[in-house]
Amino acid sequence: MASFELLPVEKGILRCRHTGEFTPEEVQSLAAFLQDYHGKLLIDLSGIKAEECIGNIQQFRPMMPTAAIFGVPLDAVILEITESYYIHPVQHFDNEEEALAWLREQ
Amino acid sequence: MQTESAIQTFIHETGGWAASQMEACTRCGMCAQACHFYQATGTPEYAPVWKIELLRRAYEQRFTLSGRFKAALGLEKRVTDDDLLAWSKIVYEACTVCNRCSMVCPMGIDLGPLIHDVRAGMASAGMVPKDLADAVQKQIDEGSPLGVTDDVFHSRLEWVTDEWEVDMPLDKQGAETLVIFSSIEIMKFPTNLAAIAKILNAAGENWTLSSKAREVVNFGFFDGSEEHTVLFLRRVIDGAKELGVKRIVVTECGHAYDALRWTAYNLIDIPPEIEITHITGLMGEYLKTGRIKLKAGAFDGDGRLTFHDACKIQRRGGHIEEPRQLLNVLAPNAFVEMTPNREAGICCGGGGGVIAIKEADPLRFKAFELKVEQARQVHADTVVMSCSNCRLQFTDGVEHFGLDLKVRGLAQMVADALIEEPAS
Repeated sequence: MASFELLPVEKGILRCRHTGEFTPEEVQSLAAFLQDYHGKLLIDLSGIKAEECIGNIQQFRPMMPTAAIFGVPLDAVILEITESYYIHPVQHFDNEEEALAWLREQ
Repeated sequence: MQTESAIQTFIHETGGWAASQMEACTRCGMCAQACHFYQATGTPEYAPVWKIELLRRAYEQRFTLSGRFKAALGLEKRVTDDDLLAWSKIVYEACTVCNRCSMVCPMGIDLGPLIHDVRAGMASAGMVPKDLADAVQKQIDEGSPLGVTDDVFHSRLEWVTDEWEVDMPLDKQGAETLVIFSSIEIMKFPTNLAAIAKILNAAGENWTLSSKAREVVNFGFFDGSEEHTVLFLRRVIDGAKELGVKRIVVTECGHAYDALRWTAYNLIDIPPEIEITHITGLMGEYLKTGRIKLKAGAFDGDGRLTFHDACKIQRRGGHIEEPRQLLNVLAPNAFVEMTPNREAGICCGGGGGVIAIKEADPLRFKAFELKVEQARQVHADTVVMSCSNCRLQFTDGVEHFGLDLKVRGLAQMVADALIEEPAS
């Protein structure tokens, strides 16, 4: 079973639900998906531990579309990135409701 | 004070070559129709001939008798601070320095470099748009306009090496070829790093990356400042010298290729034994000489596919046939040409630093609509390109207009279609 799944939330928003540590194939597959996806992402990390995903979250940050993350506590430093024209806003929230509400406003 | 600084730079930049170009101009206006910003908006100020107007005025009023008379009698406007402000928007936000205008000029005037001279004057007067100036400052301070610091570079390489399971040599003494990525590839398109590494390894290239010359972008080439351009060029050439390489390969970046392949030779000493080329040319050479083998028709089953010619790689760099040779192997039945194409291809609208200026977004998307129309005319499902800046503009454009159009980098496609030779 894959360590992440993509499920529609509503028009223009997909949930990316993580359920375990990524294999290299899954990293490649998610990277390929992010290159083609132009909507918003609700990143649900409730199925894994923070230490299992921090590294990949940090590396995927520059490639992310507008995204709201929830499900595990995350140090804000993880999402910090040099302000630039190519990046999209990404924020961490304590729960899904807040994350989705913010995402809808973007 | 700002005006004086700009005028002095204009005059400094006006040597015999620039003077002859300006004297040759008959103001026929044909260049306007070649400009994608003019085509997209119909705004007369976007005509390339108008973009160099301040340079022409400074030249005439300083170097020609009639110009001096006109200025003395008040028949021709002197350059003012308000002019600088107006032209700053024109030359940075409504010009990608794509140089398509030079292709149609009946007098053969090379307008792009003249517009670059106007940008140089703006840079010396401190009239560079803030977003672009900030990016330049980041490259000065941190070594990268997009935040590719030493730590980020190493961490990114480690991630790609591990997750894509590909060997990426770093600071390898004795390597023949130094490969330098652009910051947008490192940050936004890291799959390109893995793809290009796979291609080089498959070809048996003796290559390396460099910690010192870790990225090839040159935002000094965008703001027009010679000082900045030279500073960033030196980082690349010094990195190459330290490793003793014989060749530098610029990856999928257009302006950096122009800066390093052509402009650098007029600004700094580059050891003659170092060849500078682009990954597009190298992939074409690998295919031609049999160093890589590709699965024929690998992309024939994915709808229609077309190629976007990047201004600096195809029109300026001359790598026009190689991508077509590659695509005719990768997708012989699906590949179709947009019109116009090759050296006459229309810019994506995001080059020349325009994409870095937030205020220019409406204009760059307006210009991008011309590309969308071109792709639509050939019923393309996918647009392929060999410049990551164009790729970002296309990606942004597809998102902005909600288009059903895939955007692909050429190197990524080549890597995906590699036939790996069985180990002997």
